[in-house]
Amino acid sequence: MTAVLDSEVMTPATKRRSWRKNPWRKPVVLEAFTWAYLVWSIVPIVIAVIFSFNNGKSDSSWEGFSTRWYWGSTTNSVFENPVFRSAIEQTLRLAIISTILTMIVGVAFGIGIHRWRSKTSVTFNFVMVFSYVIPELIFGIAFFFVFTQLFTFVDLGTSAQILGLVTWNISWPAIIIFARLSSIGPAYEEAAADLGCSRLQSLRRVLLPMLMPAIFASTVLVFATCVDDFVICNLLSSSANTEPMSVFIYSSTHGGQSGPQLNALASLMLLFSLVAAAVGFLGYRWITRGERGAGRSQALESITGL
Amino acid sequence: MTMTPEKPKVITASPPAKTARQRRISMGWAAFAVPGILWLVFLFIVPMYTIFAVAGGHLNPIFNSPVPVWNPFAWSGANYVAVYHDFVGPTSFIGPILGRTVVYVVIASILSLLIAYPAAYFVARFAGKRKGLFLALMIAPFWISYMMRMLAWIDLLQTNGYINKALVNLHVISAPVNWLGGKSVTVVLGLVYGYIPYLILVLYAGLDRIDQRLIEAGRDLGLSRTQTFVTITLRLSRPAIITGMLITFLPMIGDYFTNQMLSGNVATSMIGNVIDAQLLTTSLQSEGAVLSLFLLVILLVPILYYVWQSRHSEDSVM
Amino acid sequence: MASHPRQRFPEGSNPFSRRTFLTAAGLAGAGLGLAACGNGATSGASSTQSIPLPRVNNPVTWPLSSSNPAIANGRSPESGATLKLYCWVAYVNQKVLNNFAKKYNCQVQVSTFNNTAEAMSKLSSGQMDYDVFFPTIDLIGPLTESELIRPLNHSYIPNISQAWNAFTNPFYDQEWRYSTPYTIFTTGIGWRKDLVNENPYDMANGWAMPWNAKYKGRVGILDDYREAAALGMLKNHLYDLNTTDLGQMATSTNSLIELNSLVSTQIDNNDYVNIPSGQAWIHEAWSGDMASSWQYLPKGQSIDTIGYWFPPNGKGPINNDLMVNLKAGQNPVLAHLLINDLLDLNNAIENMSYTGYMQPINGMTPSRLIAEGIIPPNLTSTVVRESDFNNGVRELALDPQVDAQYQQNWLRVSGGI
Repeated sequence: MTAVLDSEVMTPATKRRSWRKNPWRKPVVLEAFTWAYLVWSIVPIVIAVIFSFNNGKSDSSWEGFSTRWYWGSTTNSVFENPVFRSAIEQTLRLAIISTILTMIVGVAFGIGIHRWRSKTSVTFNFVMVFSYVIPELIFGIAFFFVFTQLFTFVDLGTSAQILGLVTWNISWPAIIIFARLSSIGPAYEEAAADLGCSRLQSLRRVLLPMLMPAIFASTVLVFATCVDDFVICNLLSSSANTEPMSVFIYSSTHGGQSGPQLNALASLMLLFSLVAAAVGFLGYRWITRGERGAGRSQALESITGL
Repeated sequence: MTMTPEKPKVITASPPAKTARQRRISMGWAAFAVPGILWLVFLFIVPMYTIFAVAGGHLNPIFNSPVPVWNPFAWSGANYVAVYHDFVGPTSFIGPILGRTVVYVVIASILSLLIAYPAAYFVARFAGKRKGLFLALMIAPFWISYMMRMLAWIDLLQTNGYINKALVNLHVISAPVNWLGGKSVTVVLGLVYGYIPYLILVLYAGLDRIDQRLIEAGRDLGLSRTQTFVTITLRLSRPAIITGMLITFLPMIGDYFTNQMLSGNVATSMIGNVIDAQLLTTSLQSEGAVLSLFLLVILLVPILYYVWQSRHSEDSVM
Repeated sequence: MASHPRQRFPEGSNPFSRRTFLTAAGLAGAGLGLAACGNGATSGASSTQSIPLPRVNNPVTWPLSSSNPAIANGRSPESGATLKLYCWVAYVNQKVLNNFAKKYNCQVQVSTFNNTAEAMSKLSSGQMDYDVFFPTIDLIGPLTESELIRPLNHSYIPNISQAWNAFTNPFYDQEWRYSTPYTIFTTGIGWRKDLVNENPYDMANGWAMPWNAKYKGRVGILDDYREAAALGMLKNHLYDLNTTDLGQMATSTNSLIELNSLVSTQIDNNDYVNIPSGQAWIHEAWSGDMASSWQYLPKGQSIDTIGYWFPPNGKGPINNDLMVNLKAGQNPVLAHLLINDLLDLNNAIENMSYTGYMQPINGMTPSRLIAEGIIPPNLTSTVVRESDFNNGVRELALDPQVDAQYQQNWLRVSGGI
């Protein structure tokens, strides 16, 4: 730390210059920029949530606090108007069912692909990553056509949306499990085998517990992705009754139109995702308690798929 | 997730050929993968093939609805010709839309990177004790629905919204601007706002993994801060930059809802809007299939690059 | 069909997807197809192929079939039943339905669709037992041909006598065998009198009003391929909105493309809210939307700032929706009674106060509607007159190939927006 020592005998001007030269100084500009970014990314949303409590009809000028857009009117309150309520229910229905299916198929797929080293597994690992990265519009179009032209026994609507969402999300648990398995390595299982565990036993007693954090993190992630999904739900919806909140908001705002009841609906979506995130965060910390390297940041990163 | 097993590998000298037991084990693991594989076959590969079947199919002459042709040797080029005429000739219209899409997406991608990188760099390297706070704030938008984030801007950008009020009060503009009436700048910034949370997380993950000791070594060897950044940090974060750009670039190209919500004006239509509209019109569905294949083909290189890259870094998730 | 006015929540957002109009519209082809598929056994492709296209000068009497009789006279309403309606979102005032349910001691259940393509595909699946459906007039052919709807027994519907004369024997369903009218509306131009200098009533051709570069970014047209095409044609004094003449279609398309370059056209169905808010200054508009647009005025803004132009000579698009009794419904008597109820003047007024859309019923006059406070005097032009039914031009069912051409032209204009 010679810079600090030197500065004691320097004039204020050279001190400033040396501060600029000091490679360990605090990056003030960078920090200011980061704060600006955070404000830009979060404040508009906070304002939107606030306007869901506006007493007036406007979503751009404040007329006092009210919960009228949530409760109280059968035409305008999101909890009482059947159309809004059906959107909320559809969101939850799709998210819950899709998450369960995704996790069952995806976790098994991740384990299988990782351990079953063969041409087939490599190929389908490729297919899975491919399905993850193609634009959702193209993905949605493929599903639209397959359900209207080939698997016509699947009606557009809830079942088509669920099948679409599951496929779109399978890669989350699969990739996360795959990565976790890679970092665990084969040693634990081999040890279990040496101790006389059958493969199934070692899977249940050794591998699954070690995979729990990964499974948990991806469940939360898949749930939140399903709550937010728009393209698949939009392309595969069949009627007003099968439109989840995201599609409903889109349909209503087309052309720049909105209103506080939409803000209320969007705030509910936000609430669902944030509850999922909070449950994910706390749950993840609980599951990984005692593990080395398990901290708040690490939990945050894991439930975000980092 | 840094649980590296320290136990030395158990000595099981594997013979060159698989033993019966190993084969059995392998088949056992295969059983885990089979549901997923079947799922992907029937609910990814078959649907993708259906696009080809519809694109190569023909129209029911009575109802003008698409009739898919499943045999690739019987595919017709009629729909391809129709789409060709959308690109070239007296009734063409897609060219300018495609050009606009590319311009929007390229500008939005570059802007996103310029905004996201410094912020991610700061959180990864300098947040210190407040890292948890910064991380939570940085991750929050990732958890907030896209529609909510667009809605927030619709509120702010209205003629009598806060943005106009602020700009008028600051004398930046003399009269409220019609931000939601077909402004390219609104759409591009909307794309940036919509997709930046995904980019910033990838950048953060990449920057966070850079070994701090390398940077310290650079400093110790007398590199200035800028030099260290360029020669070490920037270079080591290149994979993250590329991955991050890809996972925002690809969905942006297929985006049709951002401009629909923030503009709804023909002056800002993108290729995704055309495909979406074709899909919603029975008689144009097969052309929509062709156009989405076209999009897939031009995106194939970045997609395959992404897939290739992810296979070479098994432990990186995104 | 093409011009389906969409409904909205009285106070705010419109729960409607754009899907509605793009596909709803393309229905001439799709609807027919779906209906035919659902009923392949009885009607078959060959008969579907020859479904006539009703025109004002080519009225169609849909055949009656012994396998699909009307209900007998004098039956009493089903007791303790649940009457099922299938309609657009926010299309019938719940208050009217509640009264009906009380009167006949039954439940009324409303299911909604987003566009008629979706509705037709559901109905033709044969799994739905809805009683009353509210189709657009282009669907009446497919619906009767595939025997999805019952002929009406007029003895249960005395209120049809309240309907305008033209509607007791309309060209699309002679002898109103299968349908009664529901809402009726015109398509014209809504504008802001305080922000736009021109007045379409003073113009030689009011349809040309949007073609004015001064209002760049403030001009909107309806997100509907037939309504847009109609605007392009009417601007060029072409009055056959169902033309199969490629030249006329091209004239319309080129005019609309020119409009894009002049004003950067906004494409949406938010006429009723974008005009009062000032987001749009000139907007192709539906009369029913404009009739309720004053409810969306920001505080302190005068009602007089809003205008709606429909050509005084009546040469503009006019359209109406229908009510039909679905054959799969379990409550045909109640269905007839509900149809009758909705044709009652008081109920129609109650409905209009909620939807903004009027019905072609005697007594729904401008003076009455103004007196009831449903429309302000300066929007009298939104009231459809009986004479408009005869003078107006119509967007009717098209042959699938022609329809596809209209769709393709629209895509060139809208760029998918």
